Amino acid sequence: MKNLIQNILFFTLLSITNAVALIEIDITEGNREPLPIAITNFFYDDVDAVMLSEISNNLSDVVEADLERCGLFAPINEEAFIQKNAAMHLRPRFEDWRLIKSQALVTGKLKIVDGDKLRVEFRLWDTLAEKELEALVLITTLDNWRRISHMISDKVYERLTGEKGYFDTRILYVSESGPKNQRIKKLAIMDQDGENHRHLTSGKELVLTPRFNPTKQEITYLSYFKNLPRVYLLNIETGNQEVVGDFPGMTFAPRFSPDGNKIIMSLAKDGNSDIYVMDLKSRVVTRLTNNPAIDTSPSYSPDGKKITFNSDRGGSQQIYVMDNDGRNQKRISNEGGNYATPVWSPRGDLIAFTKNFKGNYAIGVMRTNGEGERLLTENWYQEAPSWSPNGRVLIFYRETAANEDGQGHSSTLWSIDLTGFNERKIETPQDGSDPAWSNLLQ
Amino acid sequence: MQFSIIISLLLHTGFIILTVMGLPIFNNQKIDIPPIVQVEILEITEQTNVPEVSKREIEEKEDSEKKKEDVKINQPVLKPKLEKSDEKVKDPAADEEIIKPEIVEKKSVVNMPIRKPVIKKKDNFDPLKIAELIDMAKDTKPIQDVKDEEYESLDSTDTLVNKLTLSEEDAIRSQFLRCWSIPIGMPEDDSLVVKVKISLRPDGSLMKPPEVTDHQRMNKPSQKYFKVLAESALRAVRRCDPIKTPAVERYDDWKELQLNFDPRDILR
Repeated sequence: MKNLIQNILFFTLLSITNAVALIEIDITEGNREPLPIAITNFFYDDVDAVMLSEISNNLSDVVEADLERCGLFAPINEEAFIQKNAAMHLRPRFEDWRLIKSQALVTGKLKIVDGDKLRVEFRLWDTLAEKELEALVLITTLDNWRRISHMISDKVYERLTGEKGYFDTRILYVSESGPKNQRIKKLAIMDQDGENHRHLTSGKELVLTPRFNPTKQEITYLSYFKNLPRVYLLNIETGNQEVVGDFPGMTFAPRFSPDGNKIIMSLAKDGNSDIYVMDLKSRVVTRLTNNPAIDTSPSYSPDGKKITFNSDRGGSQQIYVMDNDGRNQKRISNEGGNYATPVWSPRGDLIAFTKNFKGNYAIGVMRTNGEGERLLTENWYQEAPSWSPNGRVLIFYRETAANEDGQGHSSTLWSIDLTGFNERKIETPQDGSDPAWSNLLQ
Repeated sequence: MQFSIIISLLLHTGFIILTVMGLPIFNNQKIDIPPIVQVEILEITEQTNVPEVSKREIEEKEDSEKKKEDVKINQPVLKPKLEKSDEKVKDPAADEEIIKPEIVEKKSVVNMPIRKPVIKKKDNFDPLKIAELIDMAKDTKPIQDVKDEEYESLDSTDTLVNKLTLSEEDAIRSQFLRCWSIPIGMPEDDSLVVKVKISLRPDGSLMKPPEVTDHQRMNKPSQKYFKVLAESALRAVRRCDPIKTPAVERYDDWKELQLNFDPRDILR
């Protein structure tokens, strides 16, 4: 009996010893290259071939383009695929996909249901762990395949990064044409990949700073009527448009609150500009700042409790943060230079801004207390960052200088992600400025 | 008189029409944006998800192609039923969270015998002899003696925790650095460290599927980033399989390793 107890004691001790002795290796660095992913053409039955062959090709092309553009994925060229798409609605041969270095795989199947509806079955696989990560069926009209593609991209992005995607979204901007002193500015809207481009205004009046309502298909923007800037509301589903309030002075930089029920803006009266908020239901206007300096560009935090804005009350343009009732106004930018257009990230952790220093303009981010400032991109002139709905990417516009003859001036839309490495030009039919990113479409 | 009234009326009407037409509301073109067409979304993971199979099992299965074909054919059978059901999953993540814990629970059961090699080890010793040693001294010292005696034959180094030299550790580390694709999109979070235990065969290949020590955290709805990070770590381990190992004579030293995937410096 004594021996038995001793034996048990010994083995317990031995196992503890062994557990302690397990060698730990810290992996604190890794491969920062985009994740190799294979996106196959979606399978369809021969009976549906006439209607679905083109959609199948287009759908995978759109998903591939979305994922490539975000900079986190490296889609593998279709020609490298070993397993052909004929069998892709079944469990993939993972070895074949590992051979071409693919770590994730998107497969799917298309089908016509109820005569004219498109049924898209999509699966995301982990080729190394050999398991299914996501499987969804999406049913919609045949001509809505593009939206389905963006939704699939969003699902892939979300499953592999932990963050919501931003592909099923739209971008609103000011489309510009004509010589610099006679610019025609129209409000324009397009999908985030530049497709479905439309103009919303005719260009007779100057338009500025369009912004989406975060909760519905409504936008607010600034337009000049009889040389007086006014804040407008436009419902993009019905086309209804209205002027927001009739103010004694000029209104600028309107932006919705996160719940979409208020508009915050700056109102200039007698050479002084302050921040005001208007409740859209009651139309009651409340003054939030009261300072002889110029306070402008207000933007709400995603919880609606704080507001960041821009003010020159300290002698130079800087970024300030205050409570939503105007209390506790505090300067947060402290790194030197002038700061403008602060925008609170939808994730809540950062504030994006434009910074003017040493003759250049930079788009950057800082924490909401002003610490950890990072400049993502610098150029001759660029401004007006707007966040993607997941708070990972910023869209802004960049201008090039005109030469002595007044030629060569351009204004283009760009996006950059938080790493600062993935900078992309966003193609628009004409010049563009003042972009704004919508939330994910409902 | 009448003539001038008519002229006046016409001019006034014309003026009113011009004024009304001049309002900004008439200047806007009709908006022609394609409407947002609704999409019906159904979650099908639950019905069709294939259980995780270890590499060795797959190798065994490869021998019988027929069996594999059966698996393939059986895959998508359940789908049509789903469409008819009213289960429109608005938040697929929620459902996923409910289902996956079961799968992982099973996995954890499969992976449980981490201490298996320990049991093997005891065969190398004479229990009675060791029992004598324990009996001789009543404090903790004998454990130390036992340890020393046990490892003396395997390794000349004194330390028990670091049985590999720094360069051997570096050699292993550098392999995983190359294999690990960091999910760069993550926010900064000091708790984001994934510990993975791996058991290796003498040739450096995986003996069993790698195991995340805190696998329960992977299934918490609030731990989406941890899950993504853990999956990336598991992919790294599989991608590196088999690894180049230190000398086979010292197999016991490296047959089990814990890899701490720590992206904090990278995300900062």
